[in-house]
Amino acid sequence: MKLEIVLMLAVAAIWLALALVYALVPGLDMPGYIRVWGIGALVFLALAAVLYRARRNQT
Amino acid sequence: MSTTSTTMTSPRAPQTPLSRFATLQTADRLLCGVLIALSLFALALGIAYGVAMALVRSGLLAPAPDAGYRVLTLHGTTAFFYWLYTGQAATVLLLAAAEKKGALALRGLAWAGTALIAAGFVLSELAAIAGPPLLYEANPELGTDDPRTVAGMTGGYLLLAAGFALIALSSIATVLATRRQADGGLSALGFGLLAWAGFLIVSAVAAVNAFLPGLLWASGFGAFPHAATTDWHILFHNLHYLPLMATVLVWYALAQDLTGISPATGTAFSKIVFASYLVFVPPTSLYHMFLEPGLPESVRVAGSLLSLFVSVPTLIAFLIVVASLEIHTRAGGEGGMRARLRRLPWDNPAMANMGVAILTMLIGLAFAFVLIQEKLAPLLSDTMFVPGYFHFFAVGTVTQSFIAMLAMAVPAVSGRPLWRPRLLCVMPWIVLAGLLLFGAGGLGAGLMGVPRRVVDIGYGGEAPAIWRPFMAMVGIGGVLFASALAVSVFGVLRSLVPGRRGLAAAAEPHVAAARSAAAPAAAAWTGPLAVVLLVAAMYGATIGAFELMQSLPVTAAGGGAH
Repeated sequence: MKLEIVLMLAVAAIWLALALVYALVPGLDMPGYIRVWGIGALVFLALAAVLYRARRNQT
Repeated sequence: MSTTSTTMTSPRAPQTPLSRFATLQTADRLLCGVLIALSLFALALGIAYGVAMALVRSGLLAPAPDAGYRVLTLHGTTAFFYWLYTGQAATVLLLAAAEKKGALALRGLAWAGTALIAAGFVLSELAAIAGPPLLYEANPELGTDDPRTVAGMTGGYLLLAAGFALIALSSIATVLATRRQADGGLSALGFGLLAWAGFLIVSAVAAVNAFLPGLLWASGFGAFPHAATTDWHILFHNLHYLPLMATVLVWYALAQDLTGISPATGTAFSKIVFASYLVFVPPTSLYHMFLEPGLPESVRVAGSLLSLFVSVPTLIAFLIVVASLEIHTRAGGEGGMRARLRRLPWDNPAMANMGVAILTMLIGLAFAFVLIQEKLAPLLSDTMFVPGYFHFFAVGTVTQSFIAMLAMAVPAVSGRPLWRPRLLCVMPWIVLAGLLLFGAGGLGAGLMGVPRRVVDIGYGGEAPAIWRPFMAMVGIGGVLFASALAVSVFGVLRSLVPGRRGLAAAAEPHVAAARSAAAPAAAAWTGPLAVVLLVAAMYGATIGAFELMQSLPVTAAGGGAH
């Protein structure tokens, strides 16, 4: 379970980093990419939170 | 030559197909049956449009220009969107229910999702039939004179996206309610399903990002969506990855069901591989922008380097599955590769489907890498090279994998034996033969500059004569694989009609006995060897494409289409 949470957090972190790159780098004028990668980061963060909650309920 | 040294162990007894799906509740069988029927109906319709398109492209049919582009639109809309995504919705739900061994969670949401997908299907089809052809991406620039068609197609796609997002939510809730492994975690497949369902939800967000501006404009509530092309690219990138992730999860499940062994590399490694799909999705997206004229050179170089990672997760998952199958065959006795291959359960249609899926993935990958290179992309992206290579993935890899999965699941859903399994075992190989012909014609035509989105390529008699034989191969190959695929679809649909005698256990095709005991370590080198051959094929295809295109008088410049 711990591995699953770490993996989901890693995915969320990478998606968030890419959203920030698209938001902050001049020349990458693609707001759609910021929205999708950013919301994606939130989705995988939520999945990590759900897994964390399930783990706490078990112990 | 390096080898993958593995130990065949089984922390819990592997499942046979019937044991995997036998625990489906009656209400869930009905829901899954409706979704399967809807997806196969979309596939059947997509095949019919595809045959018409193959005949048009080969010159055997000469419709009015509008009719030709309408069929092209309908083929893409029906096969790419409604088959692949309804098929995924059915698959994720089936595997989640089987993983839980109990009732689906949030079944009402899943029913609502199914209704939304059906409504979207009707709306998109009607809009594509009645209005001007917008092509399958519902391009608003082609519908400026008829906003109602833009509203119909984008509205249909948004309903589809909402539908598969709701089904993904039901799947996530179901997987989370499964009984945990000894370490308190999910099974590897359970974690993979969770990741896949999350990715489906993100892709629904990408669909909203791509299509909502068009719907708002067409309904009089927003400005014209000038960023539609860029927003389509990001959705399209997700839509590339999703079916491939679904495919390797199906392989992962079927390898256990067909051979009775657990995956060779263990649960933790499998989870890392499934998560790696999501890790590689955003960084590899830049290559879709290669055709944009204003893209900075630094971004172009970064995108070119990152695109090399695009198939890493698929290849690792391929290695796991092939290694697992090889261990199964080595455990069956001595002999060379041919003898070992014969030990696989080829009398099960699902095995034949999966075998063809694996072969077509390797062929498709070799040519996909030619296309995503920065120097070749502008020359080839708008040519027949694209349908030539991606049908290996769409029809071969993904569709054959989903058919394999349905061939295993449908008898448990309907209680009826699979229709004519011997005949269905042959069909995937005919599909492969058709695909090889279609692919050779399409790739060759693309290298000769035949445009992919122009229905009449005669150009008033000015077109090079060499185009015709290549396009004839496209037509013959297309009709061949479509005919065999139609038989497979009929067989699965026919088996879906509920039987009168309960579960069809006795009539099931062969499934290897489960091997739950630990077995000695074995060297499985077929997977690594296949990857080495693939890399060599990629180099060969790239060098060949460069050399050929430099020697040709005709070149094609891309226009940013996908």
